[in-house]
Amino acid sequence: MTLVLATLLGLLFAFGTYLLLRRDLVWVIWGLAIVSQAANAYLLTVAGIAVPGVESVPVLGHGAEGAVPETADPLVQALVLTAIVISFGMTAFALVVTYRVYEEHDTIDVFEIGGER
Amino acid sequence: MAADALAVAPLLVPLLAATAALLTRRWPVIRTSVSVAGVVAYAGVVALVAWRVVVAPDAPGAVAYQVGDWPAPFGITLVVDALSAFVLVLTAAVALPAMLSSVRYLLPEDEDVYYHPLYHFLLVGITGALLTGDLFNLFVWFEVLLMATYVLVSFYGGVAHTRATLWFLVLNIVASAVMLVAIGGLYATTGTLNMADMARRLARPAASGVAVGPVVGLSALLFAVFALKAGLVPFQFWVPSAYTAAPLPATALLAGAVKKVGVYAILRLYFTVLSPASVPVSLPGVAGDSPLAFLGPVLLLMAAASVVFGGLGAIRGRSVEEVLAYSSIGQVGFIAIPVAIAALVPSPARELAVAAGLVYALNHTLAKGMLFLAAATVRSAAGTSRLSELGGLAGRFPALSSAFMVGALALIGIPPLSGFFGKFLVFDAAVRADRSLTLAVLVGGSLLTIAYTTRAWLRGFWGERTAAVETAVRDPAQVAVVVAMALAVAAVGVGFEVVFAFAEAAAEAATDTDAYVEVVAPTGGVEE
Repeated sequence: MTLVLATLLGLLFAFGTYLLLRRDLVWVIWGLAIVSQAANAYLLTVAGIAVPGVESVPVLGHGAEGAVPETADPLVQALVLTAIVISFGMTAFALVVTYRVYEEHDTIDVFEIGGER
Repeated sequence: MAADALAVAPLLVPLLAATAALLTRRWPVIRTSVSVAGVVAYAGVVALVAWRVVVAPDAPGAVAYQVGDWPAPFGITLVVDALSAFVLVLTAAVALPAMLSSVRYLLPEDEDVYYHPLYHFLLVGITGALLTGDLFNLFVWFEVLLMATYVLVSFYGGVAHTRATLWFLVLNIVASAVMLVAIGGLYATTGTLNMADMARRLARPAASGVAVGPVVGLSALLFAVFALKAGLVPFQFWVPSAYTAAPLPATALLAGAVKKVGVYAILRLYFTVLSPASVPVSLPGVAGDSPLAFLGPVLLLMAAASVVFGGLGAIRGRSVEEVLAYSSIGQVGFIAIPVAIAALVPSPARELAVAAGLVYALNHTLAKGMLFLAAATVRSAAGTSRLSELGGLAGRFPALSSAFMVGALALIGIPPLSGFFGKFLVFDAAVRADRSLTLAVLVGGSLLTIAYTTRAWLRGFWGERTAAVETAVRDPAQVAVVVAMALAVAAVGVGFEVVFAFAEAAAEAATDTDAYVEVVAPTGGVEE
């Protein structure tokens, strides 16, 4: 499980970086979104990965007779919720800026935008 | 007001001011008055906090506020100690005059409806980042600060402004992802996000079951993010375009305060949180076994490169604000060099070197903030700030030109201005650490500073009066703000003993991990 997740996260980061380095601005914004989401998915894994079973529950119940089942760490979920909201807002703003850049520069080619002075 | 509730006050004031400025946006006069009153109140609250917590004779030195009364490390902690109070004072010292200046700088056709709320949200972000005692909250406050900065950089929405915003935005979103990865990794390694708790666990890794090795690499990722915020080489390339795109009074706040937040974060993370950890590693050029030993050489190299790059870039600057923007890169190098030296030397000299960096930061905030406001005044008056279209300003506006001269001399480091003591302490730190190469870079950087300030002076303020300068009409209020800041630069130099005592207390707070842990008082986890 850990190996699968690690591979998947690595691929996401690699693909996001690939898109970030494109000339087309829309692809760059996609790259930003994918890198942000990869970071969010990574954040979920930092509490450790447990194999699901009857012993592990996402929310602590009444804990009959003092037996406390294993619980997931709720903190990382709170963190990732915050991070998702922030990256959503930033991606939305990045798209708006892309549109304004297109209006001002008549192109979404990164080289052409950077070339003029 | 209870002493620990003081920690939350500097956050609430700009938040209320931003909301009030949004609600009154339809009535420009009320909106502007509310906004100015908000900045004045912010400066007042910061002064009160600094006095009650640090400077007053019976001050506690540091207070922590546990939000919602959740004890650390479970809740969100806000901490004011001498270090955060010092940087807060810097922020307020540039925020107030920059706001006063921007009231006259922005024209009605700029549609300054959202300028005032943004300005206050920027203050909220800066203050939050300075006060938080929690790594994840540091990330959140950085995002608050950045969001306001993005919109301020794109404020005019022209060709250059959208381009500057785009580079700044893409770079910082990538940095945010990197910061998340680093914070997640630190949480996985140490099991806590509270900085005091993290410091306590790293000091006793065996008792708390922490593997110290990965912390070094993860903190290096965080260091890269903070260096980007501070605009150190090789993360400097967003600085000139962003600083010239934003409205100039807002740039004064960006250069004066936002850059210092990056420096503050490096100080807080490395000197307060990570310094007790020991990592036995042998690498070429790295002596010692603390994460500080890794920080030192890297930061020194980056700072020295910043000094050289910023100075050379400023010499080529085509407008007053472009010279100042490149100069900011170089001046942050001057702040970072003593910090790097502090990481390399043992204890008594370490505090002195940190204090040197802080004093230089104070000088840069006041002098550079004032110079950006002077550039704003010139642009308001003459309609341009391009050096090729300026000339003879000294004859037309003697008060404004004298103030600019004072700022330039403070950057160079002429006594009795604040810059002299900053430069003196930085050189002193380099001499004490016996670093002749660093000393050579410092001397070279100082010569470059003299060269680019002289060039800006000769091209813009002396020589033949150009048509733009001949027909210029100065705004007396803007000139008054600039002159008042010039007097402040001189006053800091004259009354330097008080300032230095504050900076020394801040350096003490930055390096004293135990005191920081004691104030936050995280419960549970480590067996004593």
